[in-house]
Amino acid sequence: MRNILVRGVAAGAIALLSLAACSSEREGGDSTATSGSTEAAKGFPANSLIGVALPAKTSENWVLAGDLFTNGLKEAGFQADVQYAGSSTTVADQQAQISAMVTKGAKVIVIGATDAAQLSTQVEAAKQAGATVIAYDRLIKNTQGVDYYVAYDNFKVGELQGQALLDGMAKKKPSGPYTVELFSGSSDDNNSAVFFDGAMSVLKPKIDSGDVVVGSGQTDIKQTATDGWKAENAQRRMDSLLTSTYNGDKTLDGVLSPNDTLARAIITSVKGAGKPLPIVTGQDSEVESVKSIVAGEQYSTINKDTRNLVKQTIQMVKDLQAGKTPEVNDTKSYNNGVKVVPSFLLPPMIVTKDNVVEAYANDPNLAPLTK
Amino acid sequence: MSRAKELQKSLFGGTTSNARQFGMIFTLVAIVLLFQILTDGLTLSPVNLISLVSQYSYILILAIGMLMVIVAGHIDLSVGSVAAFVGIVVANIMQDYSIPWFLAVLIGLVVGAVIGAWQGFWVAYVGVPAFIVTLAGMMLFRGGNQYIGNADTIPVPEGFRTIGAGFLPEVGPNTGYNNLTLVLGLVICVAVVVREWRGRRTRHQMQAEVAPMWISVIRVAIPLVVVVFATLQFAGGRIGTSFPVSGIILGVLVVIYGFVTRNTAGGRHIYAVGGNARAAELSGVKLKRVNFLVMMNMSVLAALAGMIFVARSAASGPQDGIGWELDAIAAVFVGGAAVSGGLGTISGSIVGGLVMAVLNNGLQLMGVGSDRVQIIKGVVLLLAVALDAYNKKQGRFSVIDSLMRPFRRDAAPSSASPVETGQEHGKSPVAG
Repeated sequence: MRNILVRGVAAGAIALLSLAACSSEREGGDSTATSGSTEAAKGFPANSLIGVALPAKTSENWVLAGDLFTNGLKEAGFQADVQYAGSSTTVADQQAQISAMVTKGAKVIVIGATDAAQLSTQVEAAKQAGATVIAYDRLIKNTQGVDYYVAYDNFKVGELQGQALLDGMAKKKPSGPYTVELFSGSSDDNNSAVFFDGAMSVLKPKIDSGDVVVGSGQTDIKQTATDGWKAENAQRRMDSLLTSTYNGDKTLDGVLSPNDTLARAIITSVKGAGKPLPIVTGQDSEVESVKSIVAGEQYSTINKDTRNLVKQTIQMVKDLQAGKTPEVNDTKSYNNGVKVVPSFLLPPMIVTKDNVVEAYANDPNLAPLTK
Repeated sequence: MSRAKELQKSLFGGTTSNARQFGMIFTLVAIVLLFQILTDGLTLSPVNLISLVSQYSYILILAIGMLMVIVAGHIDLSVGSVAAFVGIVVANIMQDYSIPWFLAVLIGLVVGAVIGAWQGFWVAYVGVPAFIVTLAGMMLFRGGNQYIGNADTIPVPEGFRTIGAGFLPEVGPNTGYNNLTLVLGLVICVAVVVREWRGRRTRHQMQAEVAPMWISVIRVAIPLVVVVFATLQFAGGRIGTSFPVSGIILGVLVVIYGFVTRNTAGGRHIYAVGGNARAAELSGVKLKRVNFLVMMNMSVLAALAGMIFVARSAASGPQDGIGWELDAIAAVFVGGAAVSGGLGTISGSIVGGLVMAVLNNGLQLMGVGSDRVQIIKGVVLLLAVALDAYNKKQGRFSVIDSLMRPFRRDAAPSSASPVETGQEHGKSPVAG
């Protein structure tokens, strides 16, 4: 009986000795940890692996971005690993995908976050493994690990929407006061407040001077929010506004809408009530809205070309590869809760019926609609 | 009796279910080796092993509870929603009242127990099928999560993150490895040896047939090699990482629940209820209490899993827990449990869960998209259960037997009877 114990221990000891020979990652890990910063400045091989983790394929935009990344990174000579989160367990999937990219030794990981606040563990692991993390379109929150942020300038989007609303109304009716209603996005999306604040930075002075009147008096972002960015919620709110505030012959001159889906819901609601169409703003250049602009219903949208955003991101990856510091143009606006993330913000472009043809001339999907 | 036959029986016991379990371990090893080759050695690298454990420990914890629920002849569809509900409650409490994180964990477990008592009440004492009760629970607690959280993502403090993203700390002299992980590995090694030794002593005392010494050596040597290898890998990860805390929680639960289901009267009652509820009741098993406790236990484990996920994600979000019930159920069935109840083991479910986890991880390392990963996982689940169904029809099946057949042309065709329970090591035939 003792015998077996002795043999077992002996077997274990032999196994231990034979395996102790295999090197631990600690030594390697040590050297990269100490020379991490200098190594980043030196760049990395041109055929390195670049990871791109995107949300589930729920919108056209993400699918397009994924294709552009795959092709663009390959063209630049990198190995691309582009992953979409699964449709059911999105957050867990994305976490696992980022971990897999770290394991594979990706030098740069570009992340379009599914939930911007639930990735800090993985992002920090990536950072410690020596990868550079770029937040794409959505800022990753509550972590030191994110290095750069690349997106369209959302405050500017709001400003453009506010200005378009004023311009459109002035075109229709030379002098005020103008009656408007305000809509904002879902309260759980931190972009919603940025759009709204941008628009209000333009509208507030006019409201204060009495040139612009909010008919219902609802100017607080809590009152104007549209839960889940859902069209049905915007339509419901517009329906009740029309009944409560615009019965009789009271007219509505303009509606600030944060995006195209909500803009079309608002237009549907106004049409249903048999009222003349107000000036309605939008964003995203959705196919139906571009048609609507050409037809003269929706007044404006915003063009945030995914191609440019991907191109800019790949440029950052190339700079990092060459050992250069990527260009940023904003080092103070985007605080993720623990640090201010250096950002490159692309300028959005306002599109109305006047410039719709030029705006989408390079877009194979939208150009035919403007002819 | 041929040596191969003897080896099979002594290593894995003689019943079909044990052969099935061995089949699953064999599959797991095969998948690991396959991906180890396909990914150029990334699969068994320290970084990947560590992230594998922390990524799937919460699913495996759910699988433990789900195994007991399924063995008792029920199902629980609400685990994902319960996990999400507890996660948001705990995150909220910590944000609003800044209580210490371990107290928050305790509160979370209590909330889980209350939810479990609610579901157990309907299943055991009112007699509503568990499928319906937990389908209702799935909606109830998903709604509760959104109601409390406002569909928002709520961050949790650093201390709380230990249970999901924490590792064994670095202590003691610099050995080039994480010392606590080495200690943990040593403890497991000793446990393996002691267990085998005690098993032999018991059989001697009972004057039962004792397996030949060479079999005992193999039974000890194989786990030891695996444990030593795993220990060195986990201990040799990047500085600051080692064996994950969530993995330790999982390990402790596996040991405890493994013991309870195998060696205690209460645990055996679960199998009795699942095998034949009427007969069990007539033999004095308190049917209602068993059902109540099994459902309640599941929700407590779901609460724990939810908190581990929140800790790992550093925040509780509206998407948490979606689809977890299916992952847990898949792990249990791949691991050899019977759909009709009464059959299955904790260790089998863990192996089943690991098969799915390694598959997922390996495919991700190869850069296979999540669409195709889901297709492959679906096929594997179907094949695993289909194999089980086929074997039952055929009477018996042995993976070793089929592997060894080509080498035993001289031996007479196998004629062993399907039930050789007398040869098993202190296991009752029901558990397999």
